[in-house]
Amino acid sequence: MIGWTIFPVFAIVAALVGVVGSVAAFRSSLRSRVAVCCMWVSTAVIMVFVAGLWIALDRPPMRTMGETRLWYSLFLFISGAFTYQRWGYRWVPSFATMLATVFMAVNCFKPEIHDATLMPALQSVWFIPHVAIYMFSYALLGCATLLSVYSLFGRQRVDNAVESLLYGGVAFLTVGMLTGALWAKQAWGDYWSWDAKESWAAATWLIYLLSIHLLRLKRGSRAVVCAVIVVAFLSLQMCWYGVNYLPSAKQSVHTYNR
Amino acid sequence: MQISISRYTVTTVLLVLVAGVVSWLLEATVGALPIEFFAFPMNLILMVLWLIAVVELYRARSKNVIARYLLSAQATVSAIVFAAIGCLVVGLQSEPATQSYIFVLMVLYVMSVVAMVTLRGWRVQGTVRWRFLVSHLGLLLALVAGFWGAADYQELRMIVDDTPRQQAIYIDGTAKKLDYTLRLAEFDVQYNEAGVPEQYRADIEVDGNPVTLEVNDPYNVSFAQSIYLMNFERNDAATRLVVQIVYQPWRAVMVVGIVMLIVGALLMFLGGAKR
Repeated sequence: MIGWTIFPVFAIVAALVGVVGSVAAFRSSLRSRVAVCCMWVSTAVIMVFVAGLWIALDRPPMRTMGETRLWYSLFLFISGAFTYQRWGYRWVPSFATMLATVFMAVNCFKPEIHDATLMPALQSVWFIPHVAIYMFSYALLGCATLLSVYSLFGRQRVDNAVESLLYGGVAFLTVGMLTGALWAKQAWGDYWSWDAKESWAAATWLIYLLSIHLLRLKRGSRAVVCAVIVVAFLSLQMCWYGVNYLPSAKQSVHTYNR
Repeated sequence: MQISISRYTVTTVLLVLVAGVVSWLLEATVGALPIEFFAFPMNLILMVLWLIAVVELYRARSKNVIARYLLSAQATVSAIVFAAIGCLVVGLQSEPATQSYIFVLMVLYVMSVVAMVTLRGWRVQGTVRWRFLVSHLGLLLALVAGFWGAADYQELRMIVDDTPRQQAIYIDGTAKKLDYTLRLAEFDVQYNEAGVPEQYRADIEVDGNPVTLEVNDPYNVSFAQSIYLMNFERNDAATRLVVQIVYQPWRAVMVVGIVMLIVGALLMFLGGAKR
């Protein structure tokens, strides 16, 4: 039976395969097939664990912070694999592996095992799309952020990759937010109620929209756009788990994991 | 480039300052926003006037300085920054001040900029014309429904037991007689092995017709009116249910807006960063 106790095995395998892929990507001047394969193998390893956990818990593993971190690692590998396959930037596999490993390591040391019950509030058709779409968008935007930082301080220009990841990430962020709004109507009566988490989600979305508008209107230097992307990602972290520590979230209807 | 950024900062700061001063003046003279004043039909009248003003401004864009400003990159950027700041402030408040004048003015400004650029987008031919129109019109409709429809949104509570009842109360305690009766037929809680509730289910009768309420599964009396399972009190003698009744006449506008925004986002994902 797959459970958190054997997660370290999966995490170590996925991380090691990711490292092999990262090394292969760095050593190859062209797109390395080995690296592409490794990224997809790491993806598959985490995917097997997620599927197993889902079956073992008899509910989608999307409720606790630990479980969302698991999805985040999965989508990081997927977006890393996809980005490398598509644009061939040699640092992408190592970035994706590094970030995914951090999240997997946190889960190894702090698995936050919870009971199998999915509370009634989360039993909805919107639950899986809402969380999965958001996690995928977070992973794309995480990659976009790393590439922007690289673009700010590195020598190579990676604007095309940043822009593509940004468009994909913001598209999913929008759909994630709106599936949340549609779900909120089903659950609580209104589409939007300015709960702390909702306000931070809106702010994050707007800061990302700012970066896209600056790019499209050709306003702001590369440094300004990259800085906006970094600020947006910080806001996203607040929205994801930071709000739980805010006094304004004491009444929040979005905190299921405390 | 750096010059334009500092100009944007100045514009945004000015905008926030002006909005702040106007809100302070309104707060001092009128007092708190009289939201009931804006209930139907006042909101509809004001919305039509606002729409006419936006369209007229757009038509006069070649000579009118306000119209030119609202269509500039500066207006777009400052609208997004203003809105982001507004959301961040609200996100830090324990009781979100979304009915404060400054927040209302911010939404009005953002909505006007979106309306202006949507009108212009209609005339601009280009590869992303439809994507632009769908997302901006979707956002505009969602904002319109949330802003102009806010005063028409009603939330009622009602205690339902085994006698048919019609009396519900608003959040402020005033009573309202519904045009249908509600009666509780059966209430059931399913527990798992650990004794934790897994699902709540209430079979109620609306004017004698059986319907089921569950968490995440309200009953729609009409498209604009839904009944939600909220709470229950149970003792040996009887079960009493607390239901929430939501009346949202602008719901259709909101749904169309949200769906258009989703379509716009998908078009953006498929089309990518093309110009």
